[in-house]
Amino acid sequence: MRILIADDEAMSRRLLQKTLERAGYQVCTAENGRQAADILCSLDGPKLALLDWMMPLLNGPGVCREVRKAKEQSYIYMVLLTSKEAKEDIVAGLESGADDYLVKPFDTAELKARLRTGLRILDLEDRLVEAREDMRFKASHDTLTTLWNRGVILELMGQELSRSHRENATTVVVLCDLDHFKAVNDSFGHLVGDEVLRETAKRLLASVRSYDFVGRYGGEEFLVVLNNCDPAFAFARAEEIRNTIAQRPVKTSGGPVSVTISLGLLLSHEWATRSVEELLHEADKALYGAKEAGRNCVKLAKPKAAASVSEYRVREPVKQRR
Amino acid sequence: MKEAEQASPCQIFDRGELLARVENDCELLGDIITIFKEDFPSHLHDLREAVKARDGKSVAIAAHTLKGMLSNLAAAQAASSVARLEQMGCQGDSQGFDEAFAAFEDDASKVIPLLEACMAEECR
Repeated sequence: MRILIADDEAMSRRLLQKTLERAGYQVCTAENGRQAADILCSLDGPKLALLDWMMPLLNGPGVCREVRKAKEQSYIYMVLLTSKEAKEDIVAGLESGADDYLVKPFDTAELKARLRTGLRILDLEDRLVEAREDMRFKASHDTLTTLWNRGVILELMGQELSRSHRENATTVVVLCDLDHFKAVNDSFGHLVGDEVLRETAKRLLASVRSYDFVGRYGGEEFLVVLNNCDPAFAFARAEEIRNTIAQRPVKTSGGPVSVTISLGLLLSHEWATRSVEELLHEADKALYGAKEAGRNCVKLAKPKAAASVSEYRVREPVKQRR
Repeated sequence: MKEAEQASPCQIFDRGELLARVENDCELLGDIITIFKEDFPSHLHDLREAVKARDGKSVAIAAHTLKGMLSNLAAAQAASSVARLEQMGCQGDSQGFDEAFAAFEDDASKVIPLLEACMAEECR
């Protein structure tokens, strides 16, 4: 664990440094409060600090205040070193944001014990942050594929459509559905089916740019949002996605499984300001068209094709079109 | 290095306390005594000048630094006499500065020889 020792007095710094190095800490030092605050507020600064109360430029409580103001994500455990023993001084020190204080001259065993308390608090904080991040991930990602889940991908799509409308750009929406996936599950079992879904997700992610979005829309349906995409290349991009799935079988525990994917493509600039739900409905119609056309192909949703709209008025239930 | 408990504490300097603080580490003991010998004269000079100028705030600052150094070295008597100066400085009580400074100088002058003796005996 890294620790900062801030003390303007060289002898005290040396004494603390050696004592703490011997106890297994990685020590960095500061000779004044300003330097200490800068180190602690830096991105990769230590999370544990021993701060002398009286220091040039900024005193110990001043450092605590500055650190508490600046650091919101990662907790820094700060111990004030002081020869001030009056209750009001101690209260002022703790109110400034210090977690603990030690009266100088310090007792080595007490110093180490108090720092161990700090380590326990920091460890607890790490575990809480980890748990929060884990929950955040689970709330926004699909458990099986780790892609964005349905709620998040729809939200991202909505944001992207608003942005592209504002900027007079095009967002390309691609609704994808694995062909005959039920047959994969029936022939190889659900575990292999899951492996196919995971590999499909991986290939979809690999086929888009880092700033595009890929989410799991439903069972074997995926939604790809290509941000700020030149409409001239949209079809080719969708073809690339199709090809990345079809080009080689998925290696699974049940052996290689060949799969293909059908895609419904929609270019946002052709649809004025339509809602996410409406656009998805149109993309779904195009996807249905791809299934009808023999699967493993891309079909574009066309707003002006009245005939095709009537054709899709009665939607086929999802299970039947696989 | 001899065990800490073999050293007998005295009013001026508690050898046992110092050895415990450095965890019987001869190198560290040498380091902090060297730093003290190097830094002490300039801090003493600052204190003397502040006393002469009757500058309470500067007296308090210089005395605080010296108090910390002497406390770390377990030199209780000198630490206590300089703490008195610090308190006087904080309170702006400049009347007793000269007498308190003289007492501190006297106490402090006894510390370095004892530290050197300690170093010589413990780190042979």
